[in-house]
Amino acid sequence: MFLQTLVTGLSIGGIYALMAVGYSLVFSILNFSNFAHGTIIMLGAYIGYFIISSFNLSFPLSLIGAVLGAALLALLNVELAYSPLINRRSPSLYLMITAMGVSIFLENMVYVTLGSHFYAFPEIFKQSNLKFFGSDISPLDLSALVFSLVSIYALHLFLIKTKLGTAIRAASYDMTTASLNGVNMTRLIGIVFLLAGAFGGLAGVFLGIKYMVYPTMGWITNKAYIAAVIGGLGSLPGAVIGGLILGLLETFVSVYISSTIRDVFSFSMVIIFLVILPAGLMGRHLEEKV
Amino acid sequence: MLKVKDLNVFYGRIHALKDVSIEVDEGEIVTIVGANGAGKSTLMWTLAGVLKGKSGSIIYRDKPHPTVAHEAAAGGIVLVPERRRLYANLTVRENLMMGAFLRKDIEAIKKDLEYIYSLFPILKERTTQYAGTLSGGEQQMAAIARGLMSRPKILLLDEPSLGLSPIYTAEVFNTILEINAQNTTILLAEQNAKKALEIADRAYVLETGRVVLSGSGKDLLQDPAVQEAYLGVRHKAI
Ligand SMILES: Nc1ncnc2c1ncn2[C@@H]1O[C@H](COP(=O)(O)OP(=O)(O)OP(=O)(O)O)[C@@H](O)[C@H]1O
Ligand SMILES: [Mg+2]
Repeated sequence: MFLQTLVTGLSIGGIYALMAVGYSLVFSILNFSNFAHGTIIMLGAYIGYFIISSFNLSFPLSLIGAVLGAALLALLNVELAYSPLINRRSPSLYLMITAMGVSIFLENMVYVTLGSHFYAFPEIFKQSNLKFFGSDISPLDLSALVFSLVSIYALHLFLIKTKLGTAIRAASYDMTTASLNGVNMTRLIGIVFLLAGAFGGLAGVFLGIKYMVYPTMGWITNKAYIAAVIGGLGSLPGAVIGGLILGLLETFVSVYISSTIRDVFSFSMVIIFLVILPAGLMGRHLEEKV
Repeated sequence: MLKVKDLNVFYGRIHALKDVSIEVDEGEIVTIVGANGAGKSTLMWTLAGVLKGKSGSIIYRDKPHPTVAHEAAAGGIVLVPERRRLYANLTVRENLMMGAFLRKDIEAIKKDLEYIYSLFPILKERTTQYAGTLSGGEQQMAAIARGLMSRPKILLLDEPSLGLSPIYTAEVFNTILEINAQNTTILLAEQNAKKALEIADRAYVLETGRVVLSGSGKDLLQDPAVQEAYLGVRHKAI
């Protein structure tokens, strides 16, 4: 029971972390909470679902489709909705409000075009659970966990080892100086949104498999936002640690205490963190912001 | 190499540069002196493509000057901004490599890095340290070094001696001469007027957004008005 709860908690935490990465990447560069990210995740889930159910393609293809689709949607989002504001150097509050507008718009587009059905992914991971030290561990949980950790680690390597990754970290500290160094900020912001969207697509598919696909599923990303705050907004290791902590706590609370208190618990956490440790666990100023 | 004519720059309604005209020829060291708020940094940021002029023209190497920062950088105009603006969250080495962001000549980048470490041995010792943990003088060297990593055609230095002790200041000015000897054109804005005029081929005096005097570095050093305003020399009232 304990081991099973642990793996479930970690896998939910992994999905939270995947979602939180998108928030953190955008926050670190543009200093605003991109509340449209949840909608991008939702759309990624729809793309993944339709690829697998309508076109009968395999799960890997659906995952790739969702990742590419969500990445492109995130790029469209920044080009159409945020760029005019960024070019005018608007305060980040305006960007945040625009993001909320984008999110409401897209959600309602889905209502109008696809309706409010709940779509369930076809069975991808066999029900038969893996036996591990006498505990049942679901292959879905395990692969969600592995996928999130591996992809986030790859992002981490990209950010610290490559020239482009270094430029993203540099720009997260000082965009003007980055442009003095020859970084085309418009392009760099586009790349950051592509990355955030790609992670959103990945998260969307796993979220869809776990909880079904529906227009308001993006609101689960509130949890990812909490994770990002706990870890320190803008910090990549923070997003991972925050996600895992939140996933574990939630799962243990709902298994060992009560599942109704679970959300009260996570939202109280964010308040406590904002009051006591507003920069989160990893959000120190000299630390890397991405 | 660089011809600025009747440049006007505004911050909203604040008129920061008024009909400024300056010229920098290839291989020169040109100094801009001026008190606080004279508009030195405004001129530098405009030349670097970050600020845009409202009127006037800037001709760079016989072409209109690129008005976007990353294009100016690509064209070889490299600004080492006032207060250094290092990336505190990156290591010294990463900061230097950001200077080489647009370059693809990996071998030459390595050589330049070695050259910079010979110029500033302290940076070699600090190479894996976060730039935010360097002392002020070390940061200034790192900022100049990052500018050099871009292989500038013209290097714009905005108050490189700001906040430095006399020893560090001397070292920075020696470095400027050495860089210039390697065929890099230099435009220098300074409040430390004596040193800056001594090394200048030509110089301009900027006062509340206007060029009020220009001439060779030596001439300006001898100029009574300059001596009084910027060199702390007292002239008896006539
Ligand atoms: N961002 C800004 N917004 C509004 N006004 C500004 C801004 N930056 C500079 N100014 C104004 O423009 C004028 C020129 O400033 P600038 O920074 O170019 O002076 P400076 O010669 O570099 O001074 P210092 O030696 O103190 O660095 C000043 O009057 C200043 O108040
Ligand atoms: Mg200045």
